Amino acid sequence: MVKRRNEHGDEYYDNYNVPADKASTVLEALLYIKENIDQTLSFRYSCRMEICGSCGMEINGRPRMACSTQLASLHSDIIKISPLPHYNVIKDLVVDFDPFFDKYKKVKPYIIRDDDGNYSAEIPQTPEQFNEFKGYAQCIKCGLCMAACPVVGTDENYLGPAPLTALFRYNIDNRDQGIMYRIDIANSDDGTSRCHFAGECTEACPKDVRPSFAIQKLRVQGLKYELKNIMGGKK
Amino acid sequence: MNKTGIAGWFNIKDKGTGYFAFAFQRFSGLVIVIYLYMHLIFLSSLLDGRTTYNSLVQNITYGPFDIFIVMDMLLALVIFYHGANGIRLALNEFGIGLKHHKLFFYAYESISMVLLVLFLYYAYLFLGGH
Repeated sequence: MVKRRNEHGDEYYDNYNVPADKASTVLEALLYIKENIDQTLSFRYSCRMEICGSCGMEINGRPRMACSTQLASLHSDIIKISPLPHYNVIKDLVVDFDPFFDKYKKVKPYIIRDDDGNYSAEIPQTPEQFNEFKGYAQCIKCGLCMAACPVVGTDENYLGPAPLTALFRYNIDNRDQGIMYRIDIANSDDGTSRCHFAGECTEACPKDVRPSFAIQKLRVQGLKYELKNIMGGKK
Repeated sequence: MNKTGIAGWFNIKDKGTGYFAFAFQRFSGLVIVIYLYMHLIFLSSLLDGRTTYNSLVQNITYGPFDIFIVMDMLLALVIFYHGANGIRLALNEFGIGLKHHKLFFYAYESISMVLLVLFLYYAYLFLGGH
């Protein structure tokens, strides 16, 4: 069953019968429909190997990547596919990611240096320092966490799991010196205080990034930073 | 982004333990707030004198309308749940027990339910039960 939308904006489900073997994925099923049954069906995909983050959709009630979700793993002959919740639908399973990427840009997800990049020597990074943020750097911006988060669904201003994880990832990178530019964003009304640790972002993440853990750690980092300020430390 | 509304919080189908904890924390919080206001409204009847208050107490706690004992028990349930999960969340938010947050949830709620049973037992004795 695929949730679709007609030209008047009315939503409905179309049913398709798709042959499958034990290795077939949801994306392959959708491609079969597109090639053999209904060429009007719209969905987004690219790499087919959980790298590009394009084919996120709600599959049997949970946000998942269509390319890495095997039909057999769903343990059902009937599979319900809908566009990702909390996003505006453009057509069928294609959603508008612009608001998500706008939030992502807000957290300054890049290395900020006091020297504006005009450094003369190599900036060393030990394996331990790299491993500290490595897990958080695996994010493929698929937006599943934003679809899974119940707070994103009720507060459109909340930055959300992926942007806050990116913020934390750069704050703990030893090459970065931009924490003072990001911490106020994390501590703002739309930042970490809006997270209620439902943990669905971590459950949904296909790359095991664990955004809900990053947000709690960012909270502690934000608290320490503010306490340091109150005690007369340098901002 | 597209909002799903508050009803979306309580859609626990196909969701994990953390989501159930979140949804019931919201629900129990709402119940506690509503109870608090009802309690204050009820107590404010004392402004009309002792007779009004006593008559209200008699009307809602005796005879066929004595459902308040059951409601008190349910209130105790949500308060114990909310408190235990609140402590877990506070610890998790300080980065304590993050990796074992589900285990923390089950452990804290199990302890709180044991305490609830003890509380109800002593409340029963207090009300004159044997």
